[in-house]
Amino acid sequence: MSQEPVVSLRQVTKRVGRHTIIDNLTFDVPQGEIFGFLGPNGAGKTTTIRMMVGLMSITNGEILIKGKNIKSQFEQAIRHVGAIVENPEMYKFLSGYHNLVHYARMIPGIPKERIREVVELVKLEDRIHDKVKKYSLGMRQRLGVAQALLHRPSVLILDEPTNGLDPAGIRELRDYLHYLTREEGITVIVSSHLLSEMELMCDRVAILQKGRLVDVKRIQEFMNTDDKAQTFLIEALPVEQALAIVREVEGVSGVKPVSEGIELIADRAVIPEVVSRLIEANIAIYEVRSVRQSLEDRFLQITGGEKIG
Amino acid sequence: MVSLILNENMKLYRRIRTWVMVVLMIGAVLLGSFMEWHYDDKSMQGDGWRTEIADEQRQMQQGLSSPDMGDDTKRYYQDQILINDYRLEHDIRPTSGTMWDGINGSAELIVLITLFTVIIAGDSLAGEFATGTIKLLLIRPASRFKIWLAKYLSLILFSLMLLCILFVVSVLFNGLLYGFGWMNLPLLEVNGSGQVAEYNMVANLWKTYLLNGVSTIIFVSMAFMISSAFRSSTMAIGISIAALFAGAILMELLQAYDWSRYLLFANIDLSQHLSGRPYQEGMTLSFSIIVLAIHFAVFNLVSWLVFTRRDVAA
Repeated sequence: MSQEPVVSLRQVTKRVGRHTIIDNLTFDVPQGEIFGFLGPNGAGKTTTIRMMVGLMSITNGEILIKGKNIKSQFEQAIRHVGAIVENPEMYKFLSGYHNLVHYARMIPGIPKERIREVVELVKLEDRIHDKVKKYSLGMRQRLGVAQALLHRPSVLILDEPTNGLDPAGIRELRDYLHYLTREEGITVIVSSHLLSEMELMCDRVAILQKGRLVDVKRIQEFMNTDDKAQTFLIEALPVEQALAIVREVEGVSGVKPVSEGIELIADRAVIPEVVSRLIEANIAIYEVRSVRQSLEDRFLQITGGEKIG
Repeated sequence: MVSLILNENMKLYRRIRTWVMVVLMIGAVLLGSFMEWHYDDKSMQGDGWRTEIADEQRQMQQGLSSPDMGDDTKRYYQDQILINDYRLEHDIRPTSGTMWDGINGSAELIVLITLFTVIIAGDSLAGEFATGTIKLLLIRPASRFKIWLAKYLSLILFSLMLLCILFVVSVLFNGLLYGFGWMNLPLLEVNGSGQVAEYNMVANLWKTYLLNGVSTIIFVSMAFMISSAFRSSTMAIGISIAALFAGAILMELLQAYDWSRYLLFANIDLSQHLSGRPYQEGMTLSFSIIVLAIHFAVFNLVSWLVFTRRDVAA
């Protein structure tokens, strides 16, 4: 997209005492994307997000939101941001509605009508006048989304939004985010340690490790870096015989037995040859499929196998 | 700014805790006034006061003639005799046996207002940190200073509300107990030039309220500062309440030392200057006001600086 980035970080550094927690981060988030932060625990995802919303000070560098500096023009910059930082902690002794009234009062120009609108959007109409302490975690998450959307922000920042949600809740959240980016042109920034979730959710991912930016790429680019030699899995019986035959085929490497069958690395063009050889030898073939590398595999590869989450 | 205060008030008055405090406040006024009325010497009620005063005069005259009387007591007796003469002469009854007795007595309960406001102040910032709501509070287009100020002002408003409750309830209930008579009864005091002067009773009552209110504000600022600096409501409430109750005892122990006059607790009770008996010889009202002002400024400066500068990491 050609528009100017909604959020941009310029040489952002955070030091606490002698420790450098965030080291020289520079990247842009374009409009209308779901942008993911990925990294092992302690990589600095939460710190970066807290600096973006002004909860933490920035030691060096600057963060711009729609061109406004979060440090020196805090009130103008934060106006464009809706956020949930970690769990959506609301006032439990207030009703969901009064929580929203509370946040609406803090931003000029939000009519009562808008509160009703966001409540409908997150489907909390029936329970909005109940006290938040009676809400389930999923309902709190939805109320969290509602408070973040109240003022029609340009950027939605969610820190670990799937924390503690059941699969249905995660799916619901994902659908919201897609709706918001596609229909309302909102930019979404999420951090998560659930890699499989990020894979389904994000358009682009930044990988952080030990406070440094390792890489920023589109999700597809992460998936298909090695187009030529792919990994395939063949489920065939008897295994020993099949192994011997597959090893003979030219252009095949890394043949090894795995629990589901035989794994091999080969050019896509070689696969028909492999299959016909197996059939000739009267081997029963149950399944042949390419093993797509998951984000998790790529991630481990990039960060050198450091344990995640 | 107004909407931020509305928010703080919403968070305050939509909690049961706040209303428990209000009920306790009303209960304390009712109970205190009733006890005082119940054990009151009923002979002062109605017109009995003239014979009582005449008796008192005779006793004090006798007392004055005894040689082993301290200077303070002597002055007190002399003043009382002047006032009593004035009463008999102008037909102005003492407050005893009227509703003013109970109302003035209830003014002591301001310490409860301090206590309750300190509890709320101690929890005001620290509580938001503890529950994590601070994160959603600070990511709005309102500077931290404004949020801090709104919280502070909502505390002051809360203590003012309790003060009004104290006033209204004590006037109504004591009126019921003693009867709503002698509404315009003046307060008699011996002024600086040794003459008896008449003062307005209600104005005097509010003067007492506000002088005690000064200590409320100082303690609330202290609790608010600890709440902001340590982000622990237990610590803020604990330390401030300990200071509230132990301060006076501590000052008694330190009275012999000259430097103790510079301490907060030596100055927190401004009424010491009205009665003319300050904590140490030579302390003046302006001295105490300066000491209090410095503490007030330091408490609020620290709490504001810490709150606006520190990272929200929890």
